[in-house]
Amino acid sequence: MTDPDLLVIGGGPAGIAAAVRAADAGASVMLVEMRPALGGAFHRRPIEGVEPWPIGREGERRWARLDEGLVRTGIVPRLRTAFLGLDGAGAALLEDRVAGRVEACHPRAIILATGALESVRPRPGWHRPGVVTAGGLQVMMKETGRIPEGRILLAGSGPLLIALAGQLTARGRPPVAVVEAADPFTEMVAGLGLLAHPRHLAEAAVHLGRLALARVPWRRATVLEAITPKGDAFEVRLRDRRGRRTTLEVDHVALHDGIRPNDHGLPAANETPGAGPIVVSAGDGREVLGVVAAEIDGERAADRALALIDGRPEATRDHLRRLARERHAQAVLARVFAPARPLDPLETLPDDTVLCRCEGRTVGDLKVLFTGADTPAGREIKLTGRFAMGLCQGRFCAHWVAEASARLGPDAPAPRPRDLTGDRWPARPVPIAALAAVPDAPKR
Amino acid sequence: MVIVGAGIVGVSTAYFLKRAGVSVRLVEARAPAAAATGAADGAVSVASKRPGPMMATATAGIRLYRELTAEGVLDGLFFTRSTFLVAVDDAEAEVLATHAAALAASGVSVERLTNERLRALAPSLSADVRAAAEVREEGHAIGYEIVRRLIARAGLAVERGVRVDALVADPRTGRVTGLDTGAGRIEAEAVVIAAGGGSADLLGLSGVLRARRGQLLVTERAPALNAGLPGAIMSARYLLSKASAPGAAPAASARGYGLVIDPLRTGQFLVGGTRENDAARPDTDAEAVAHILRDALRLVPGLASVRLLRTFAGLRTAVVDGLPLVGAVPGRAGLHVATGFEGDGICLGPLMGRSIARLLLGEDPGVDLAPFDPARFREGRAAA
Repeated sequence: MTDPDLLVIGGGPAGIAAAVRAADAGASVMLVEMRPALGGAFHRRPIEGVEPWPIGREGERRWARLDEGLVRTGIVPRLRTAFLGLDGAGAALLEDRVAGRVEACHPRAIILATGALESVRPRPGWHRPGVVTAGGLQVMMKETGRIPEGRILLAGSGPLLIALAGQLTARGRPPVAVVEAADPFTEMVAGLGLLAHPRHLAEAAVHLGRLALARVPWRRATVLEAITPKGDAFEVRLRDRRGRRTTLEVDHVALHDGIRPNDHGLPAANETPGAGPIVVSAGDGREVLGVVAAEIDGERAADRALALIDGRPEATRDHLRRLARERHAQAVLARVFAPARPLDPLETLPDDTVLCRCEGRTVGDLKVLFTGADTPAGREIKLTGRFAMGLCQGRFCAHWVAEASARLGPDAPAPRPRDLTGDRWPARPVPIAALAAVPDAPKR
Repeated sequence: MVIVGAGIVGVSTAYFLKRAGVSVRLVEARAPAAAATGAADGAVSVASKRPGPMMATATAGIRLYRELTAEGVLDGLFFTRSTFLVAVDDAEAEVLATHAAALAASGVSVERLTNERLRALAPSLSADVRAAAEVREEGHAIGYEIVRRLIARAGLAVERGVRVDALVADPRTGRVTGLDTGAGRIEAEAVVIAAGGGSADLLGLSGVLRARRGQLLVTERAPALNAGLPGAIMSARYLLSKASAPGAAPAASARGYGLVIDPLRTGQFLVGGTRENDAARPDTDAEAVAHILRDALRLVPGLASVRLLRTFAGLRTAVVDGLPLVGAVPGRAGLHVATGFEGDGICLGPLMGRSIARLLLGEDPGVDLAPFDPARFREGRAAA
């Protein structure tokens, strides 16, 4: 394998924009994507034989431009190739899942464009098979064109719930209800800020219009408290703004409580030449600003990486100005979707509520760690509590375990999610046979 | 009394002092088990020890684990199981035979196994294994779990994030009377340094201690394969790797490979490891990990389809002559040290903690500490 100047991790809009920009500037580029298809969460391409998901004319135009960039520069993305991290010797480790082998690669710079990670707050029953994330459900539909059979409930908070509900409705499969912890209609003043962002406003209007036509209830200022299996279905318990509890019976629950940068298990940024490869992050993986910003930020990151390795000039000002605009839109959305009432602290959940889904570790298991004279720190919570130690390596729980621990041990420094997950490779579990294929390095 | 270092040795020392009714402060630069203790393989084992003081002390170390478990102190944390020494070629078979004889001579329960018996006991092992010996009554304990339990049992509140800058001594007598720390001066009737790599500067022993790195791997759960291994599998090559310990024959290269495959109670496997001189950071690299995995696949082929979950490394403090440093520091009344156990800290930690506690209480330590006496480095050293 020839080592490229630039290794780009992630084939969404940020990664593709970065790869194309760098190749246009004359750099050699390798673009890797873990999934079988490019596109990221928004532009996810379908598998063979499936019609692309309608994403609107504006979205189609942006994807066509990214695709044209790849064709023009001759970049052939490596699909089904996962980035495992940087090892202690500074090698970038790539797992080729087609060949079943791990390769060590030595690029001069790496752009991390791994997108966003969906937040899902723990609540009783959230770990049950059949409970999915809204983003996960959406990506599955985009890849396979299929919608699961039965009654679907969307719950949590954030604009994605409305978008997904609108898309399901457009496909003739409206959800039973959308349960939203915020009360966007009361945030009128904040909502006026969206007038400056007609793209977001128009999108919301389309989805809300569809939901109204199909009479899908949008239960605002309401939280989903618990999910209990009932036969092959679920009974979910809701609590509204007045504290009244109601139950619903559904077949599928899709949860979503916002998104945050996916830096899980990934190396920290490195802008110091000579201290291993340059590492720059881009897109939602750096700061969640959405699909339009991701492209802009990808270009910015490519400029930055090339400036650091070759001293090339950066066209920062225009990129930063356009990013600032997207940042404003996200800030307005965050205000509109702020929870109507403070959410219950995690440690007040019933003791048998699962926090770590992989190893079945509960709220009660976490509390036990804080009963003695000695308050454990982040890594001890991980090791002695066995949190963030399972197959997902803390992707689902580290954030929440850190948040609850900070409240359970208020006198100790608040643990960071990274204290629990660590940043050692492999960032994802890797078959031993694939890793054993890494040869002894030639002496450098 | 003040203990510096909340690894397994320092915490054990504090535990046994508290148990004797002594008031103790435990200061720690980072957090309990933050360094070598938290990155160990957990072997409470005599199987790989060199004949002599280490073999005898390890045997006593295992006995103490058994006692503490029977008393309920380490209940649920220490598990007895055998270690299987295995050889795949003539050179390894020869080392295995010699070593099994040495273990038997020092009173360890060890039995050579026929191939038939081995297959029956350990169906997950490869047919390439041609010689094996079962070392009985060995055990496994996870360092950070032991530390956490002893802290809780002793009711200790570890003073975290307190870096010790210097020892404070009486200018007239030279007696150590306390510590200067980032959190101010701490007066002490006696000080115990159990600070691993941080001990060297405090003791003025920088030429005596060195860091050796060990890389380790953890797999996902694979219960069926796990059930086919009745205990830890130790390649006879591990014994060859240990022979490159400092003080023994000079190592040909900076990195030695041994191999232990330990079936954990969770259904996972712990696989290690390397012994590397002069490593600055406790990180892992793909080259070493792939090397270890290729060796592991030769012994347990079924691991091929199992996924690797984590890699980690410990920087273990070793003494240049291969023996730990335990006892009173010569010329420094009021100062004791216990460090330099390299890869044997989990096995020896509780025993050495109890020994130091007993020394401080004016009692017989109960084990022969003479081979580990810091006075052996007295000549021409700052510690004098």
